[in-house]
Amino acid sequence: MRKALPSILSVISAILICFIAAGLTRDFGTALDAFTAMLWGAFGDWPKFLETGAATAILRPLGEAGTKAAILTFTGLSVAVAFRVGLFNIGAQGQLAVGALAAAVVGAKLEAPGFLHITLCLAAAALGGALYALLPAILKLKRGVHEVISTIMLNWVAVSLIDNWLVIGPLRAAASGDNSISGTDQIHATAELPRLLGDSSRLNLGLVLAGVAALATWLFLTRFTRGFEWKAIGLSQDAARASGIDVDRGFLEAMLLAGAFAGLGGAVLILGTELKYPATLGAPWGFDGIAMALIGQGHPLGVLAVSTLFGGLRAGGTRMQLFGVHKSFPELMQGLALLLVAAKLMWERLLRTRGTP
Amino acid sequence: MILALLNSILDAAPPLIFAALGAVLSERAGVVNVGIEGMMRAGAFAAAVAALVMPTPLGVLVGMLAGAGVAAIHGWLTISLRSDQVVSGMAINLVMLALGTFLLEAVFNSPSSTPAITQLPLVFGHSPLTWLALVLPFVVHFVIQHTAWGLRLRAVGEKPQAVAAMGVRVGPLRFGAVLLSGALAGLGGAALSTATLDRFEHHMPSGLGFMAVAAMVFGRWTPLGAAGAAAFFAFGNALRIGLASSAPQLLEVVPKGVLLALPYALTLVVLSVQGAKNVAPAALGQPYDPELR
Amino acid sequence: MIELRHITKRFNGVAALEDVSLEVKPGERLALIGENGAGKSSLMNVLYGLYQPDQGEVCFDGQVVKVKTPAEALARGVGMVHQHFTLVPTLTVTENVVLGHEPTKAGRLDLVRARKEVDDTCAKFGFQLDTGAVVRELSVGSQQKVEIVKALHRGVKTLILDEPTAVLTPQEADELFAVTRRLSDEGLAVVLISHKLKEVMAFSTRIAVMRRGKKVAEVVPGETSPEHLAQLMISLSSRERGEGRGEGPNQAPPSSGAVPDQPLTRPPATLSPLPQGEGTLQLTHLTAQGLHDLTLTLHPGEILGIAGVDGNGQRELAEVLTGLRPWTSGTLTFEHAPITRWTPHLARAHGVTHIPEDRLRRALITDLTVEENVSLGRHTQPPFAKGPLIDFPGRRALTTSLLETNDVRPRDPQLRAGGLSGGNQQKLVVGRELDSNPKVLIVVQPTRGLDIAAVAAVRAQLFTQRARGCAVLLISLDLDEVLELSDRVLVMYAGRITGEFTRAQFDERVLGRRMLGVVDA
Repeated sequence: MRKALPSILSVISAILICFIAAGLTRDFGTALDAFTAMLWGAFGDWPKFLETGAATAILRPLGEAGTKAAILTFTGLSVAVAFRVGLFNIGAQGQLAVGALAAAVVGAKLEAPGFLHITLCLAAAALGGALYALLPAILKLKRGVHEVISTIMLNWVAVSLIDNWLVIGPLRAAASGDNSISGTDQIHATAELPRLLGDSSRLNLGLVLAGVAALATWLFLTRFTRGFEWKAIGLSQDAARASGIDVDRGFLEAMLLAGAFAGLGGAVLILGTELKYPATLGAPWGFDGIAMALIGQGHPLGVLAVSTLFGGLRAGGTRMQLFGVHKSFPELMQGLALLLVAAKLMWERLLRTRGTP
Repeated sequence: MILALLNSILDAAPPLIFAALGAVLSERAGVVNVGIEGMMRAGAFAAAVAALVMPTPLGVLVGMLAGAGVAAIHGWLTISLRSDQVVSGMAINLVMLALGTFLLEAVFNSPSSTPAITQLPLVFGHSPLTWLALVLPFVVHFVIQHTAWGLRLRAVGEKPQAVAAMGVRVGPLRFGAVLLSGALAGLGGAALSTATLDRFEHHMPSGLGFMAVAAMVFGRWTPLGAAGAAAFFAFGNALRIGLASSAPQLLEVVPKGVLLALPYALTLVVLSVQGAKNVAPAALGQPYDPELR
Repeated sequence: MIELRHITKRFNGVAALEDVSLEVKPGERLALIGENGAGKSSLMNVLYGLYQPDQGEVCFDGQVVKVKTPAEALARGVGMVHQHFTLVPTLTVTENVVLGHEPTKAGRLDLVRARKEVDDTCAKFGFQLDTGAVVRELSVGSQQKVEIVKALHRGVKTLILDEPTAVLTPQEADELFAVTRRLSDEGLAVVLISHKLKEVMAFSTRIAVMRRGKKVAEVVPGETSPEHLAQLMISLSSRERGEGRGEGPNQAPPSSGAVPDQPLTRPPATLSPLPQGEGTLQLTHLTAQGLHDLTLTLHPGEILGIAGVDGNGQRELAEVLTGLRPWTSGTLTFEHAPITRWTPHLARAHGVTHIPEDRLRRALITDLTVEENVSLGRHTQPPFAKGPLIDFPGRRALTTSLLETNDVRPRDPQLRAGGLSGGNQQKLVVGRELDSNPKVLIVVQPTRGLDIAAVAAVRAQLFTQRARGCAVLLISLDLDEVLELSDRVLVMYAGRITGEFTRAQFDERVLGRRMLGVVDA
């Protein structure tokens, strides 16, 4: 709990700073309204539900929050597992794009019954992401190329090739009638992630998958000897190597898993909400994953918690529009929280001086 | 045709060149700067906003100050607090991305762009920033290679202990480099909003900051190399845009996405052929802790 | 003239320097000698402003001065050349020398003038240096010259050289001494920190001997001999500890922790309970980076000691044996089977374990808990694992008993390993490695930095292993320790084995000369 304190304080400070900023640019009454709206938009409009009894007042926001939280969890886990062995995976964005495209293609081109189709799409996305993450790992081990540089480059390679070539070229959806359609073909209904709360809410299996992934990762990292090896590698490559742990294998495995998670994030985006690879992916989900992993202190359940919070806030952010506060506000909070978490030494000093008067 | 291409390079290259030079300054001092994208965004926004109320050249200056201001955060986190340099840079990118969008909405009530401003007046048919971009690489080269400060800068990126042993303080030296880096990135951003376009658009600088980092790596952390790489990347962009209008059939063969991916892919290839270790400053990414010897 | 008066310096309560006084006079060549950890470098670091003394004062020409940083020391005319150079490898000699006080002309770095000035300095003191060369491309000897020129160019009056010949070839060392002689002729004071007696005899005008943080003697070369100096450095220690070294080779080390001052009888070497040949590790004409043509055999039930001055291949030897360093030629044979692939993992699988010198880098992960550290290396085997899963109760049970038998305090399996004291960390490492019942044990500097009780405990453990039939290789820079514990000793110098001695042949003076590269006539 004490370890989580800097993160919690950072998030609270970030929200406070943003509240003040909103108050200063509008006025504090509006800011309060906007933030309340964001909260209802994030985790259900309970007052409205109690007033009218309309379940959609809760279900719809939860659906939006849940779908965003699922993607953030996956990319956050992607960055977190790489961190576990001491690698910085900035490439979740590219891996997510590859995974998303794989899911979209398998979902649209292949025909298979229900769950099998979904499984195939997910497998393709995980595989695509994993292979794309393998590249920087190999470049690091064989050629000594730092993974930060290579994953940044690979992000833009992936995004350029997919968004500016494949999706507008070879894989572009056929025009229907006079309307040309952007993005790839729609996936088949069999590949869509089933909705959990009926048609009024977009909440789908993705959130469950993300939760299971976070839990499984946590169990793997804490209960399995291989997870222990990763931890040892991340804390001290020298000591890990001297004790007989295969450090190179750890790097490869961790990057494969990181890529697979990012790819699954892409699959959840496509199979859950977009239903095709769109003209553009919109949010920088992969970069957001860095924030999720760091604010969550690299702990899988921490990532899940932080992703749930910010997934919710971002879903609620759209409602702030009504009060003249831009919907990107939650992203600003997220960025500030990350910035504050990065000032690790500052929190350590603050908490230490308070702890020992 | 060739002249048109040249002209479009002259117009497209400056933001990238400035930002790449900024990246060089910071990284030669040993501080990783992947926050260039965010610093550019700050510069682009601040310059466009300032140019609404003051002469555009002053606006450009404000853009540089904004870039330096953001860089000060990076310096504080990485030099004073010894935080992870990559984390700090990425955090800055995320904050600036959201902050730009937010301010656009809050101040101008527009989701897409600021109102139009007067662009910088043209000099010999091009923005003055274009001519500055042609000169500045040599200036930065001169500063790094032929001034006392530049010598210390190179030394501190390779071996901060050596600089400290000679009685020069590492922190202020690195901080200065990071501030200048931010100012140059801010200038790059300002070039986007005052020269390339006449306003700040919500997506700016749409990855140019990362391309600047690629140019720096491609140019082997030297100002002339980075500027050359930036011009080459800009040439790629110009070629792509030029082809789209003059020879669209060619784009069927070499798709736009492939051309877009080329700078990054090339940088990666160059890196993996030569291995990154030999050219990057030796102390890059390592916080300097005077208590550790 | 510089005076250090009654300097005392403690690190974490342990005195590194105790009431040391020393004068450094202009024009003299003062040698400061002593074993590793005797306090030579610490004393000079005080003078150079790197350490602040807890007691005592530094005087320049009779004036008490607080030297707080190396920059202040430089300003007072004191320069120091460390073993680890502070040169920027990518810059030229001239650039390195003028860094921090560069000559400029109209804002422009005036490299022409700088080079001329540096050339002048070189010429004045007789240095042959290409001042336009990039430092990275210079030999180690030339790089050291650059370090010296850096100090001279700042106009220092006192130059401290910390183990300058450790990294030099004999020829380079000769050159260095010729240069320093010229410096003292110019009126500079030169202080040489060393433990190589031959060079000290040849170089100095005065010799100060340090031992365990104290200055024990000051002599003039004409009135002494290497043997005498070696006695002052090494033998005196035994008398200090009241053990009476001269009483015969079978003198026992303190053992079992309880009464450390009580000498115990050295347990007799028992016959190996292991089958013949088991646990035998052989190197034949093995050459690796830092090692030349090594042939040696580790026998079960024997402690083989490696004696030598720091940096003569001991670390490399340990790394080869434990799979951390590849070899280029020769063979490594285990239980009479030649080995082709040897990794830390395989070494462990064969029963070869390692107690490394740098426990915080290689043996322990300070951010892991004590029990996690105990499992490190055997974490995939019972009782630490059940299949792919960590066996938490098994790990806890074994850790608890291991803490008990090795007297690691506090007995808290969940404590961060970084929270243990150095002695308890080492007891933890030793306990962990021995718990796997190794066939071969590679031990490097096992008692460095430990208190007396911990030292005794660790040594007792080594004897227990020997009695079990384990083959023990003991590498230590403390000659006393090597002689007390080993059944047989190999001396290493410059990556080679320069002598082999059985217990009956132990003679420190002979060994000491071999360690210092002196071959008997």
